[in-house]
Amino acid sequence: MFAASVILIVSAALFLFYLQATCQKILAHKFDQAYYLTIADANRLEFPFVRKALEEFRAPVDYPWVCMTLKCDYLALTYLLKNAANAKHTYTREERLLMLYFRAIFFALFTARLLKLAEKPAILKLTEILQHFADIVGERVNQVRFGDLSASDYLITL
Amino acid sequence: MINAVVGDVLQYGDYLLEVVLVAAVVYRGLWRRLPGVSLYLLSLVALDTVGRPLVLYRFGFHSTEYWYTYWITNVALQLAAFLLVCSFFRSACANEERLWHVLRLALPLVFLLTVALSVVPIWQGRLSKMNMDFVAQFEQYMYFACLVLNTLLFIMMQYVEVEEGRLPLLVCGLGLQFAGPAAGMAVVVLTGGQEYAKSLAAHIDPLCTLGMLLTWLYAVRRVPRTALRPVREEPGTVEQAA
Repeated sequence: MFAASVILIVSAALFLFYLQATCQKILAHKFDQAYYLTIADANRLEFPFVRKALEEFRAPVDYPWVCMTLKCDYLALTYLLKNAANAKHTYTREERLLMLYFRAIFFALFTARLLKLAEKPAILKLTEILQHFADIVGERVNQVRFGDLSASDYLITL
Repeated sequence: MINAVVGDVLQYGDYLLEVVLVAAVVYRGLWRRLPGVSLYLLSLVALDTVGRPLVLYRFGFHSTEYWYTYWITNVALQLAAFLLVCSFFRSACANEERLWHVLRLALPLVFLLTVALSVVPIWQGRLSKMNMDFVAQFEQYMYFACLVLNTLLFIMMQYVEVEEGRLPLLVCGLGLQFAGPAAGMAVVVLTGGQEYAKSLAAHIDPLCTLGMLLTWLYAVRRVPRTALRPVREEPGTVEQAA
């Protein structure tokens, strides 16, 4: 009974750990350039500024603003993932997994707020996921030619 | 009814992905670079996708033949998984010969310890040799041993230089495959073999296999051969974008 309890607790914890590690490995995918900058610029996304504020200025976390900003960026990017230069108009499996991961971390952020724990690591992870999404959109848009339009110009017309 | 449909969807999803993954490994010529993964996938296809359904079709679900085939193939796949973990250790220690010499002794010891722990209840007279509870217990310990070894490998890979870029994702996938069923089996033991627990464990196994296969498919299709490094922008790029 004791051995089974230990196995259950350890296995369940490791299952979540491996899910998280898989998501992190997908996020470590290397893009040939920083596509996300163009996408963030064209769509007025604010996650790069959130990360910059946290990483460089070590500013205190303005929780309501950060939550609203990241949520808006997430909605915009998931729309673009589905509709920008995507003929199938569906998400891929890894995009779905990362969307679930984003929601799980968002929930963890909410819990950390309630328990008065450090929120910064969760917020940085959320910006990392958004950057990955923006990189994917940017890479897709970059592969499609729109006459003389740049990726930013094309996305503004969407 | 829904239980059976969910079970069938998961099972046929597994079969399909196993075949697709073998095709992807052969098509990309990865069977030379990843011989352990290729052999494990082949054994999965041979035993899980072909062998079991053939016996099921020939003898029926309630036959003794299918019952023995199911448990024997389960143990065979478990042993194949253990060997796969060993092959991952070998790949990770490609540049660490001294570490590999230690592991070459430690890995068989872990296997022997697992067998010994499973045999203890028979020796104490709590289980009969013919009782399949022994096999279930052996599988549970084996899953857990593989899970612990896999986790040690994952931790080790953070400190040693791994040439094969796909290895971390392959290890993550295998971790999912070990962790889920180990937890499921523990739930069955803790609930004293209640029907709902058995039903839950029966779904967890193919679901985790599906997770492992999808992770491996991603590793085979998307991840480059060389190790990955996360991209970080140079300071000031955010201002340039603005």
